[in-house]
Amino acid sequence: MALQSGSATFSRFTVQPPAGDPRKWLVRGLGRGKFEPLDLQRSEDDRAAGFVEREETDSTRFPMGAVTLGEWALFAWRVDSVAVRASAVKAELSKWEAAFGAKNRRPPARAERATARETIRRELRLRTPVATRTFDVTWNLSTGELLAWTASRKVVDEIAAAIETAFEAELTPGSPAALAARGGAVLAKLGPTAELVGAPRGAEVAR
Amino acid sequence: MSRRAEARDEAAFLRGDAGVDGAATEADDRDEAERERDAAREQLLRGHAFLGRELLTWLLWRSESTAPIARVDGEDVSVVFTGRLVLRGAFGDVTELVARGTQAPYSAQVKRALDAGLLVHQARLRIEHGERAWEATLDAEHLDVRAAKLPDLIAEEDDERLLERLFLSQRLSALLDALVGEFLAVRQGRGWGRKEVPELKRWMRGE
Repeated sequence: MALQSGSATFSRFTVQPPAGDPRKWLVRGLGRGKFEPLDLQRSEDDRAAGFVEREETDSTRFPMGAVTLGEWALFAWRVDSVAVRASAVKAELSKWEAAFGAKNRRPPARAERATARETIRRELRLRTPVATRTFDVTWNLSTGELLAWTASRKVVDEIAAAIETAFEAELTPGSPAALAARGGAVLAKLGPTAELVGAPRGAEVAR
Repeated sequence: MSRRAEARDEAAFLRGDAGVDGAATEADDRDEAERERDAAREQLLRGHAFLGRELLTWLLWRSESTAPIARVDGEDVSVVFTGRLVLRGAFGDVTELVARGTQAPYSAQVKRALDAGLLVHQARLRIEHGERAWEATLDAEHLDVRAAKLPDLIAEEDDERLLERLFLSQRLSALLDALVGEFLAVRQGRGWGRKEVPELKRWMRGE
């Protein structure tokens, strides 16, 4: 795991944490954004995501001993997804078409084929194993620095949005633009340096 | 007209791609090169990525002399670019150039490309602070840390090793913030356009 050993890959944020005792708001916030497993029988959702404990990724109880180490809060973002492969649907549909032709002595109509495809997809969805991935999140409760340990920008954005919602906290990314804004720069007035970006004379480079 | 063609036309109309006469509302008659350049310009401006590119390019210039670029906690921070470098441009015929090789970042070829209007978009850096050294790949838009090599750990117990890794990761993040801070101070100062950019351009031309 990237956090535990090997090379380190992370995106950086600064969080303005909620007021009050971190022991209370941390557990409350994680509970608010906790992972809810996929229910393939009852729901049409093919993806579920939320916070889990880092060492027991099936647990969403978040006892303080499990989610803190020194001044750090440590937890994980879990993403479960189920994806039915198109090739599997196609193969099953071919078998169904052959059986339909043999039984009815005619090829299936377009609507019959569409209904069968949907039925097959649903059946395969229930049989497809759910893929689980977890991503570490570390948050220094003293300095407010949060690191999302993944290379996927999509997951990073998802984690940032979840933190903002669950903790009602404001996140500032560690990008140069965000740091400039934090330092008081007016981003709307900031444009590329024409001589460096190779803009032809008179070309409009800023938004 | 077949039902399928009719449905296709209706969908195009609903999307706003076609008018009541069936003709395209906004035909994209740009050629391939123009589309590429427009996309490159969009990438340059998106999230003020140009700031990050100017930062990495400025760092490359400043690091060639091996002089310290910032100071953190009373100790110098110096930077060396190592190995792979990705350059991106928005106004010329070349939108991306990848340079590989231990000496590639400071090569005359890379400087010529920079002088032609390309900027550093991604780079592998070695950052030294006191007796410690980190290596990381950084991207211009988010300044995310990728595949970072942290200094050797001293602790032996699992929890202590984890805390040490977290400390070293946070330290790297603080060093990056210090480098960005140095750059922003120069970039937003009066000397940027008058002094710094002309010097940078002279360095690119090998003068």
